[in-house]
Amino acid sequence: MDRTQPIVEMRNISKTFGSTKALRGVDFTVMHGEVHALLGRNGAGKSTLVSTMSGLVASDTGTIRISRTEVAANGQPYAARIRDDIAHVQQTPQLFNLLTVAENLFLENPLVRRKFGIVSHRRMMSEAQALLDKWNIDIRAEALAGELSAGTRQLLEIMKALSRGVPVIILDEPTAALSNAEKRMLFEQVKALKALGISFIYISHHLDEVFEVADTVTILRDGQVVKEREDVGNLNVELIADLMMGEKTARSVRVDHTQADAPVLLQARGIGLYPVSAEGVDFEIRPGEIVALAGPVGGGKEALAMMLAGQLTPYKGKVSGAGGTLPTIGLVPTDRHASGYVGILGVRENVAIGGLDVLSGRFGFIDLDKEAAHVGNLARQTNVIASSLEQAVSQLSGGNQQKVVFARALCQNPQVIVALSPTRGVDVGAKEQLYALLRDLASKGLGVIVVSDEEDEISQLANRVVIVFEGRITGELRGDYTMKDLILRMEGVA
Amino acid sequence: MSSAMTGQAKAGTPAGRSRLSAFGSAFVAGGYTMYPVLALLVLVGAVVAPNFATGINLINILEQVSVLGLTTIGLTFVVLIGRLDLSLEGIVGFAPMLAAVCLVPATAGGFGIELPSWMGLVVALGTAGLIGYFNGFMVVRVGLNPFISTLGLLVLLRGGVLIVSNGRSIYSPGPALTYLGSAKLLGLPVSVLVFAFVAVAIGLVFKYHRYGRALYAIGGNEDAARAAGINVDRVIWSAFVYAGLLAGLAGVLMTGRLDSAVTTQGQGIIFSAFAAAVIGGVSLGGGRGTMVGLVSGVLLIGVINNLLTLAQVPSFYVQASTGAVIIVAAVLTTVASRRSSGVRTRT
Repeated sequence: MDRTQPIVEMRNISKTFGSTKALRGVDFTVMHGEVHALLGRNGAGKSTLVSTMSGLVASDTGTIRISRTEVAANGQPYAARIRDDIAHVQQTPQLFNLLTVAENLFLENPLVRRKFGIVSHRRMMSEAQALLDKWNIDIRAEALAGELSAGTRQLLEIMKALSRGVPVIILDEPTAALSNAEKRMLFEQVKALKALGISFIYISHHLDEVFEVADTVTILRDGQVVKEREDVGNLNVELIADLMMGEKTARSVRVDHTQADAPVLLQARGIGLYPVSAEGVDFEIRPGEIVALAGPVGGGKEALAMMLAGQLTPYKGKVSGAGGTLPTIGLVPTDRHASGYVGILGVRENVAIGGLDVLSGRFGFIDLDKEAAHVGNLARQTNVIASSLEQAVSQLSGGNQQKVVFARALCQNPQVIVALSPTRGVDVGAKEQLYALLRDLASKGLGVIVVSDEEDEISQLANRVVIVFEGRITGELRGDYTMKDLILRMEGVA
Repeated sequence: MSSAMTGQAKAGTPAGRSRLSAFGSAFVAGGYTMYPVLALLVLVGAVVAPNFATGINLINILEQVSVLGLTTIGLTFVVLIGRLDLSLEGIVGFAPMLAAVCLVPATAGGFGIELPSWMGLVVALGTAGLIGYFNGFMVVRVGLNPFISTLGLLVLLRGGVLIVSNGRSIYSPGPALTYLGSAKLLGLPVSVLVFAFVAVAIGLVFKYHRYGRALYAIGGNEDAARAAGINVDRVIWSAFVYAGLLAGLAGVLMTGRLDSAVTTQGQGIIFSAFAAAVIGGVSLGGGRGTMVGLVSGVLLIGVINNLLTLAQVPSFYVQASTGAVIIVAAVLTTVASRRSSGVRTRT
């Protein structure tokens, strides 16, 4: 094959999820033996683009050619056809916890297969051990994947991809859970494989890594390419941040209702986010304040929020309220399908379970009139649209489901609301409604804590941004911060 | 609330049609699905078996199902939260047996401690509650799968009955233990009144009490219930206690009706209880089921058994046909609930 021709060629790739256009006519090429960094803010379409490349998500339009395999996309699955040409390491490891390291590494791998689909155990163990030795990782091949640390699991996933012998490998935020030493090992392997002609697509939120390993950079913004195949030498951090940010579109802006003189609503003193974190975290929030917790995945922002919400017990330290008593806290959990709503129950019942203390009278029976009135008010306040309050929540759209979760969190008349990824998978209209709701709550003197990965969301809401990284608070932005400040902090360069 | 705006409402459907389908959904959701079937069965019974539609026979049916009814209500506590409890069958046999051997003199097969008669009920229900507490402990604290932990306990309790009774049934264990299952009040057996009272009271709890709301929420999505601030562990634990208590009460009624604690008491009842619950629309996946429906399941099983007996069907066929009816009814309930709510539930 001609080495000067690109190994991956994607033309006019588009993908729509519900009402969100994740990709709009993207072209993307990768050369042989190239490390191609794909940059862009959260929601810019990076993960979607690489998913259409590996077939994890089927593209709606366009053509994809990897090595000699060409696919004309029409929304139908095509992953099986390009399986032997590409490996995709996703953000979170997709390992089988109850299988051993060796089994995970060589699952469906022809290398260890014999006649009639029988797997050679001895072969598998020796190959696995050889691989572990090559990477210099000190784990046993018989260990269960579920027992390993987050970083080791991530490495295992990468090793699995690299050992498949495919010409193209996607690494989607591979270093999020890795220690510095593990990162070094990864970069060495990437460079060694690159020398053999293997191509990489590399997504990272750490620009310093990009400058270290990448040859070429493509930048996405709002599902479109804004910089195609630029040599990494021609770029710098400032330039990249400008390209990622783009012009500002008209969106609602944050308002500061912080009652700076009022007593603290909720505070944490020296709490440990991890079992072995050396230093504790301090945090406090005042009435009317909207605080965003930001930082890389696994950095501890979610743990901090869940501890503040009283759902997790800190490994050390203490969370307390103003006068020693804890305020009432409403929680919007991070994944509404897993822990947000009860699908088979109606809107009324879903909202009411958040406020059983408020709604039940003597002997614990629910006051039905009060319930109807209270839930009705909350449904109006949060703009829930349903055929009736009895409609099963599983039948509502994503945005309305999320509003039901907000209504539930507000049912107990909380003084503090903790919202994790408050607008994940919600369309723009519902997003703005939820932002307006949070601002309105702050204006009424509630303390609002938001955990978010989206810079736009944070900048539209938060009066204060707390960056949580490796179980510590590593930075804070207050009041008049700019979008650029925010992006640089979140990309870990400032 | 915005009643007109909805993405789901089929545009252009005539109002009459949608009112009918709304009625249908409410009918199924309320647990009334099996009542037409029940009515039909009673009608057929009245025609084919002359002895069926008599007051005595109908009261007889109610008396017979009260034990099953209480056990099924107990079972529903744990099924609503997506768990199950097989040991209820063991409790039905063990709790009254332990009470009986504590009451009667050693010559009649007792322990010889001869507790006062009123202690009979205390011992029976106390034992039942403690067994339920143990089940809750195993599930919540130890983290066992309730199927295996309660299966083990079921077998253990069956053996336990033989150990405490030395393998012999205990006759006439005393008025306190037998009153509920044998006396009559206002012309009705007390056991029927007890079942009716418990059904109404717990029906209200399921529907209107915060505890009931918590049961449905946990069964529907345990993590969401936790995030909503419900003390999930405590609710699960207590559900096992209530289930045990109701099985204990069912056992006391049975002992009363027979005026003796029999070593085989309650055997096989857990299968009937599951069948009654499922026929009544209680989802084994949790989160779904009503008292109204549960009672229909219990009555249906009672009526079928009674009819087959009256029709002098050989007892082998009674058992086989009950099984067939269970399957048919379960299919009916599942299809009806899927049609009406669009939500796929596995009964």
